[in-house]
Amino acid sequence: MQGGYVCLAFVSLRTDNGGSSGRGTEQAVTNINHKTYAMNAITPMKWWKTWIVRVFFVILGTIKPLQKDLVQLSFIHFARWVIIKRRSFPHVVPGQPKEELKYDYLLFFSNFNGTWNQYIDAFSAVLSRGLNAIWRWSEKFPGSVPVTPFKQYIAHCQFDTDYYYTAYPYATTNDVKAAHRVQAALEVLEKDSAGQSAEDFARSYLKFVLTVQSDLGETGKAPVGT
Amino acid sequence: MANQSGSVYGLTILSPICYDKTAETSHNCAIRMKLAAMPRDEFSPFAKVSSTHLARLVVMDDVVYVGAPSCEEHLKSQYLIFETNFDGDLDTYLSRMAREIPEEVDAVWQHCWGYPGVKNVDAFIAYMKKCQVTTTFFFADVNNKTVQQTLIALQTQAAVAEFVEHAQGLSPSELQKSFASFLVKLRGAPPPVPGRPGAGGPPRIETKMKWASKNLAASMAGGAQ
Repeated sequence: MQGGYVCLAFVSLRTDNGGSSGRGTEQAVTNINHKTYAMNAITPMKWWKTWIVRVFFVILGTIKPLQKDLVQLSFIHFARWVIIKRRSFPHVVPGQPKEELKYDYLLFFSNFNGTWNQYIDAFSAVLSRGLNAIWRWSEKFPGSVPVTPFKQYIAHCQFDTDYYYTAYPYATTNDVKAAHRVQAALEVLEKDSAGQSAEDFARSYLKFVLTVQSDLGETGKAPVGT
Repeated sequence: MANQSGSVYGLTILSPICYDKTAETSHNCAIRMKLAAMPRDEFSPFAKVSSTHLARLVVMDDVVYVGAPSCEEHLKSQYLIFETNFDGDLDTYLSRMAREIPEEVDAVWQHCWGYPGVKNVDAFIAYMKKCQVTTTFFFADVNNKTVQQTLIALQTQAAVAEFVEHAQGLSPSELQKSFASFLVKLRGAPPPVPGRPGAGGPPRIETKMKWASKNLAASMAGGAQ
C-alpha cells in the first residue's frame, strides 16, 4: 500500500510538470524548443553613439552582399537588433513610473540552431568584423576576438526566455531551405513530365533525384547537447 | 521597412509590468508561472495564430550593468517582451491574437500597465502598437515563404525521401505509375499542423542493405554462433 502511494505521488509530479494536462509541456528548458535556441541580450550605449549603429544597420540592410557571411552560416532562422532610446521605453498610462536612464540600449534577439557555444564561436570566427561594428559602441564591449572575453560579455548581458514557440520544431534553417528546394524541384518534375513516355519520365526522374539527393536528410529530434 | 523582411514581419513589443507591493504573487511572477504552464507544441496558443513562425515571451527584470567606468542604473518597471515573426500585416496578426487566443492573451497581459483587454479589438491593437518598439535591423534567412508553405515543403521532403527509397529498382513504367500514385497521395495528405514535433520528419527508412547497422549486428551475431 505504501509503495502504491509513492507511485501515485510520482505520477502526480510527472503530470504536474508545467500543468495544462501534461500536453506539450514536457520540456523544462525554456530557451530551447527542440532544435532552436532563443537568445536575448541587452547592452548599454551612450546616447550619442546610437546613430553610428543605426547608420551601420542602414548600410547592412541596403548593401545585401554585406549579409553574405550571415546567410552562409545558415543557422539563424530570424535575428533582430532593436535600439531603444533612453526616453523611449514604452510609457502607456500616467500611473506607470517613467524611466530615467542615462544610456540607450541595444536589444538583440536571435533564433538559431545548435548550442550557445557553437553559435558564439561561429560568430567570433566568421562575423567578427560585423559584430565589432555593431557592438563596439556598447559599453565595455571587449571585441569579438578573442572569444573567451566575448563569451563572458555576452553571457553577462544575456537574459533567459520564459516561453518559446516554433511552428516547425524539428526543422533547422538548413532543413527549411532544403525542403523548399525539394518542393520546387518536385513541382518542376510534375510539370515537365506530364505526357512523357515511361522511358522519358525515368530520365526526368533520375535528373530530379540527382538534383535533390543532398536535400533529403531526415529531420527529427535534436541531438544531445543542442 | 525595418520591421519587415520580405513577407515576414518582425514584431517587438515591450509591455511594462505592473508593480503592486501588496500583491500576494507579484505580477512578473504570475506572468512567469502562466508562461511555464503554457504548451509549446501544436497546443500552443501561437499554433492557433497559424501565421506565426517563431514567437517568444520574456520577462525582462532590469537592464544590465557591465561594470565601471560605466554607470549603474535600473529600470523602474519590468517589461514583458513579446518577440514574434509572422506572415502578413500587423493589424491582422494582432486581431487574430485578440479573436483566436483571447484567454491566453488576457492571462499574460492582464499584469501589464494599461492593458485594455481583448473584448475591444481596436483598443487592444492600439495598446500593442503603443508598446511596440521599431526593429532597427531584422534578418530572416527564409523571408519569402509562409508558415504553411514551409510546413508543406517539410512534409513533401519527408514523403519524397520515402518514395525515392521505395522506388529503387522499379522499371520505367512501374516508376511512372508509382510516381503518379505518390503525387495523388501527397496532394491528399492532411495539412501539416504548426508546432507539432515530427510532422516534417520522414519515417525511419527500412533497408535490407548489409551495411545498415542493425543488419550488420544481426549478421555478426549469426556468424558468432
